Amino acid sequence: MTFEKVNSKVVKVNLSQSGNVLARKGAMLFYSGDVRFVPANAGGAAAGGGMPSMGGIAGMAGRSMAGENVVMMAASGQGEVHYGRAGLHVTIVQLTGGTLVVEASRLLAHTANLQSSVVSLSSGGSGGGGLRGMIRGAVTGQGMFTTQLSGQGSAVLLSHGGTIELPVRPGGGTVVDPQAYVGHTGNVRVDMSANVGWREAVGRGAGEAIQLKLDGEGVVYVQASEQKL
Amino acid sequence: MTTIHTARSLPDNDNVPENPYAWSIEMNPGKPWFMSKGAMIAFYGQVQFQAVRARGLSGALMHMVANQFSSPLYAQDWVVAEGHGKLVIGDRGFDLNSYDLEDGNLTIKASNLLAFDNGLSLNQSIVPGFVTLVGTGRFLASSSGEVMFAEPPLRVDPEALLGWADCPSPSHHYDAGWMQGFLGGAMAMFGASSGEERQFDFTGAGTILIQSSEAVRSDRDIVQTIEGQLGLVGTGGLQKLQTSIQQRLSQQSQ
Repeated sequence: MTFEKVNSKVVKVNLSQSGNVLARKGAMLFYSGDVRFVPANAGGAAAGGGMPSMGGIAGMAGRSMAGENVVMMAASGQGEVHYGRAGLHVTIVQLTGGTLVVEASRLLAHTANLQSSVVSLSSGGSGGGGLRGMIRGAVTGQGMFTTQLSGQGSAVLLSHGGTIELPVRPGGGTVVDPQAYVGHTGNVRVDMSANVGWREAVGRGAGEAIQLKLDGEGVVYVQASEQKL
Repeated sequence: MTTIHTARSLPDNDNVPENPYAWSIEMNPGKPWFMSKGAMIAFYGQVQFQAVRARGLSGALMHMVANQFSSPLYAQDWVVAEGHGKLVIGDRGFDLNSYDLEDGNLTIKASNLLAFDNGLSLNQSIVPGFVTLVGTGRFLASSSGEVMFAEPPLRVDPEALLGWADCPSPSHHYDAGWMQGFLGGAMAMFGASSGEERQFDFTGAGTILIQSSEAVRSDRDIVQTIEGQLGLVGTGGLQKLQTSIQQRLSQQSQ
């Protein structure tokens, strides 16, 4: 285990075992040892110096260009760091070569050996990814883009009240409320199923008109709450 | 199944059964409690609440308050509860815990301290937003998530810090990379607002109490700290403050 759960809302990580860790700015609670923190999207690596090449940086830069205002901090060195955020629950996800797709606002931390990129959630779905993504963003109050992590490593998700894992099977018809959706792993296609009227587009809908339909083979993480982050 | 509590079934000094977010205190005559305003959610019996800053405090109570509540800054946020019965307290749905001090001292974030008995006295800490409890007695405090206990050497995000006991007051630590940026004039590039850049540095021996950072960040303590120090500022300084506050306000209203 790279990340270890301390309690329902806090994880700890030993940097000598995990290698560098990227985490949301402000999520560091406390640490012991010799640890440095460098912003992973700004030119801060130059100021910090000595930060080894990390797959995450390019992805983070891409996100900041996409307007997602989530700054990640890279922790390096020797020591143990505790992470948590705003009293939200944490869920640790191990990746062994697969992919994890997660809302940028719901990603607490991940090991730097995971490749990170920015995707539109409905891309790959049937057409109009951008527009639907935008509507979805307006409806859920969440970003238009999500983060995709892939490779070998682990990541920590944030949720209000903890996550439940629902299996996604081919043709199985797993449907999720977009506000309860936290992220998913595996080879999963996400589709908006919607009677999208202008009411939803301006965020005045009842919330049930838009659903996320997941198809493929994997797991979807859902929180038992519609609280936005 | 929901249990319906009565004065008798509520615990004397413990969490309300199966509820980490509410705590029941047994009140006895002659054993008053200091309580943070708004912490009380219910009570049984005869309990009187009097503001610490009330004019009508009786002689004995006034004497106790004057001796044990050594903080004009926080006086308006506290009441004295006296009487007999059961008192239930809660705070923002945070976890509640009780701590016993034996001839000790413990410093805690003022916004997380809910109640303490008359064996303890409260002093304003040098560190803004924190108060120090000294003596032998019990206090109740809230935390966002479970409290984690750690030993120095350690560096803590000020937002996540709940308190510390038996160790020297912390000093500020600025991340080396951040300092390089600051000295090189590049500070504006990423600001200084997060716990990664500035921490409280603890050394020596003792115990540090840490919570998952707060769900809602209250700036009440900061406002009070600034207000409390305005007396030290001259006219020129006050005008400078007024200008910078005006600038901030007009920036935020845009």
